[in-house]
Amino acid sequence: MSDTPITPPEDDNLLAAEVALGLLEGEDRVAARARLLQDRDFARTVADWQERFVALTDDIAPVAPSTKTRKALMSRLFPTRHVPLMQRLWLWQGISVAALATVAFLALPMLREAPTQVPGEVYATRMAAEDSALEMLAVMDMSRGDIALRRVSGNAPEGRVLELWAILPDRAPISLGVLPEGDVNRVALPAELAPEAAQITLAITDEPPGGAPEGAPTGGIMALGAVAEL
Amino acid sequence: MNSDREEIERLIGQVALGDRAAFETLYDRVSAKLFGVCLRVLDTRAAAEDAMQDSFVKIWNNSDRYQANGLSPMTWLITIARNTAIDRLRATRKGHQDIDTPGLELAAPGPNPEQSAVAASEAKRLTGCLDDLEADRGAAVRGAYLDGDSYADLAQRFNVPLNTMRTWLRRGLMSLRECMSA
Repeated sequence: MSDTPITPPEDDNLLAAEVALGLLEGEDRVAARARLLQDRDFARTVADWQERFVALTDDIAPVAPSTKTRKALMSRLFPTRHVPLMQRLWLWQGISVAALATVAFLALPMLREAPTQVPGEVYATRMAAEDSALEMLAVMDMSRGDIALRRVSGNAPEGRVLELWAILPDRAPISLGVLPEGDVNRVALPAELAPEAAQITLAITDEPPGGAPEGAPTGGIMALGAVAEL
Repeated sequence: MNSDREEIERLIGQVALGDRAAFETLYDRVSAKLFGVCLRVLDTRAAAEDAMQDSFVKIWNNSDRYQANGLSPMTWLITIARNTAIDRLRATRKGHQDIDTPGLELAAPGPNPEQSAVAASEAKRLTGCLDDLEADRGAAVRGAYLDGDSYADLAQRFNVPLNTMRTWLRRGLMSLRECMSA
């Protein structure tokens, strides 16, 4: 009997106290951590000790942190808070006033969002190419996960369609789909591209009806633009 | 006190839904206490401000898990600040390992978690009970909680082998619990 490994409840309770204090190191700590995640009773016992030990902070006097700290925290958590979208649009370099109005129009759903909603990053670009009449404005709204597109001028060549691509360094172009007819469109931005959004160059090629057959561009580049954060 | 508790609990609930205004109100309500705790652990104002900021980032990101941990709201908030400050302190020492923070890493949440069984009245007895312990043991518990001492640090400080330190402190923790629940 004496070699049966048993853990008396008392030991568990003390182990919980050690976890709450952060006393354990190495293997003991790894084992206790695993236990904490799997064993509800044990987690409860750790919480009990945390509830007891917190009394050690009772006589610690509150100290008001600086307002600078508050500001730093809020802008860290909510980076766009103090720069409304309209202001970001005005600051966008390299866009004409006429184009600005269009982008503001595309961005309208974002401007209408409830103030409590966290506006995500917004990227925009003007897409054009030298020997093509096609010009498009694109606004990528990360909180919606989509791209709003507005055609400024130009058309698909007769019998061809326009296909939108995301181009990232060292990768084959990723098709974002064939653009429907019409001057204003919204296309979804695949979620897996979101982390690399800042590096995206958007491109439009002309393709046979139905889009590039092999998933890789076959036509010429009609318009191109690297996104910039607003 | 009870309405305070309910108010803070309500704020954490709203923060869990992404309510920024509630987060700012919560910050204004508790930041001075959390900053005091961080300052006690870290000494320098700059380090304490960083630790407090990190604590609030954790609070914002994990508020939806608060309900699952059974802690009273102030205990949860203070424990996050204390553990964040201790982690920061330890990061400057070698062999650093993070402390487990409640609600950030805890057993799978149930639909209806019971509150911690430890009543506020019991917790209030802690300091008195610590004073009843042999002076060294009380100091060791305080040292672990407020200075982030590990068993190795304590063994060095009291100049005893690590296992002796552990046995000795465990005995202290046992008497502490008996005293507090008496």
